[in-house]
Amino acid sequence: MTKTLVFKILRDLRLVLFVTTTLLCLFQVFWAKIMERIIAQLAPFFHGMAGYSGIDISDMEKVVFDGPGKLMRTFIGGDSVDLNNAMDMFSVGYIHPLVQTILCIWAIGRAAGALAGEIDRGTMELLLSQPVGRGAVIVAHLIVDLITIPIICLSLWLGSAIGCTLVAPLTLKDYDNMIQPMKPLQIELGVAGLQFKVRDISVGKSPPKIEAGKGKLELRPMDFGGAMLAVASLLFSITGVTMAISAFGRFRFRVLGISVFLVLIMFLTNVIGQVWEPFSILRPFTIFYYYQPQPLILGKPWMVTFAEWNSGKPLVHVPFLLVLFGLGGFGYLIAGRIFSQRDIPAPI
Amino acid sequence: MLLETQALTKRYGDFTALDALDMRIDQGEVFGLLGPNGAGKSTALRLILGFLKPTSGSSSIAGHDSWTDGVRARKKIAYLPGELRLYENMTGRQLLDFLSGLRGRPVRTDLQKIATHFDIDIDAPLATMSSGMKRKVALLLVLDPYADLIIMDEPTNTLDPTMREILLDEVRQARKRGQAVFFSSHVMSEVEAVCDRVGVIRKGKLVFSEKMNALRTGRQVKIKLPSDGPVSELDGLNLVWRRERFLHLEYSGSLENLMEWIARVAPEDFSVEPMGLEGIYRKFHGEPQ
Repeated sequence: MTKTLVFKILRDLRLVLFVTTTLLCLFQVFWAKIMERIIAQLAPFFHGMAGYSGIDISDMEKVVFDGPGKLMRTFIGGDSVDLNNAMDMFSVGYIHPLVQTILCIWAIGRAAGALAGEIDRGTMELLLSQPVGRGAVIVAHLIVDLITIPIICLSLWLGSAIGCTLVAPLTLKDYDNMIQPMKPLQIELGVAGLQFKVRDISVGKSPPKIEAGKGKLELRPMDFGGAMLAVASLLFSITGVTMAISAFGRFRFRVLGISVFLVLIMFLTNVIGQVWEPFSILRPFTIFYYYQPQPLILGKPWMVTFAEWNSGKPLVHVPFLLVLFGLGGFGYLIAGRIFSQRDIPAPI
Repeated sequence: MLLETQALTKRYGDFTALDALDMRIDQGEVFGLLGPNGAGKSTALRLILGFLKPTSGSSSIAGHDSWTDGVRARKKIAYLPGELRLYENMTGRQLLDFLSGLRGRPVRTDLQKIATHFDIDIDAPLATMSSGMKRKVALLLVLDPYADLIIMDEPTNTLDPTMREILLDEVRQARKRGQAVFFSSHVMSEVEAVCDRVGVIRKGKLVFSEKMNALRTGRQVKIKLPSDGPVSELDGLNLVWRRERFLHLEYSGSLENLMEWIARVAPEDFSVEPMGLEGIYRKFHGEPQ
């Protein structure tokens, strides 16, 4: 019985699932090409420009990511991301706002339609007039999540793997013809009896030469596999929360509206909290605070520390995956409880 | 006892949609529930199906409580909703396969034969079907030979007269197979045609329940007296209303006694008709719809 229901739900979702996975996969391929251009061409160019102009590249980054630019830095993963490291930059594809938007649309759209949508269309009455328990309906949707979420995650990973294959090995474009490392100079100027001295100008170092596909240019497609856990946890948490809202609802679009509003508020709170210190204490109340695929890709600890609540010092270490999967599971439990006790209204 | 409700009640705040419904349906019995819109017919059916949680009281099907043991209860039921909503992205056959799958048994073997009898193409997408055709597909589901109880909420809605006759015939066939049928309706003629028992619901209360045989033996008597004076009494004769010389009466008893009584009264004019449902319905709801 549950199997029949699961197949039916999968059948209903197949087109949307195909579109979602294709979009995500293509985006990752596209992102790899963008990153290739940034790492292999633009970065060396700016290094060259910096060297030619006698500016330290870190000072250049400070200027670019200061003020409103901080928002950009936030979107790409914060200060921990090394802009010259290929894996760091490729990992941005998993937290890109477009990717997060597609993931949220999938999760909210699916879960909103699951219960409130069926009630709204009137088909829940047809379904529940069969010997199908309300708990079985929730379990069927949980099983569908367990099938579709890995497919979505795999599509992202596949996109990354294809993208890496297309751009590998990453080779820095040579701008040596532009970079003229200056020799230490000593200039003496004398005007009207005053003497100025400018000396020891030793800036203008060209970036260290890196062998193609090695060191910071090395791409390890398998490492993106770790991010799938983070993506899965984000999808599951949003689906679970929306499913709980859906269990209360009668109209699909009302549930969609509430869920989108909630997720949007959380997204903005998380972003603003990163660029504006006083707002940062609110970040742990958002789902996106716990969505951290980059540590999983880059081999960093899988923890959130709630330092925002403790003047920047780690308060407690909590695995972020546990929080998101727990939230999703809790959402499903609430949905099951509410849905098994509520009245199913007649279709309008 | 296949279906039993005990003081089944549903309230929404101060509004009582169904008030202490007590009823029973046996196997092989066809029960018709009559009432105007908003009387509580659909609420009763939805409580029996476990869509709604009773405020108080209970309903059970073959001993399984509709709310707490709904899955087992609904195994015994085939249901046709009043407001029919099907999965529009399926064909008729896919829908039948899906719902049979939920019941854990294969689609009935005589499906194509019945579909032909109903004059429907079950391989057509439901989205392209008219509401009448969709209702026929739903009837294929409902007229399930394996269900102990068939529940239909205003089943003849949107059906053409031919199909209405076919449906009523199918209900009779179901009764012959030993299945019970419980349906709500506005249309008294179809209830009269197939029901063994009839109930009338008014403002959430079951105000009348009687076997059709008893109704068929009853008579409505309308007479115009020669004068305003009192009339003699007769066993089984009850006054419904009187306006000066016009009397409306209900009679249950031998026709011979009634004729003798009429002769004694010597009315200016009179008529005697079978009681039927019309009189009952009018009694509780005024003019029939």
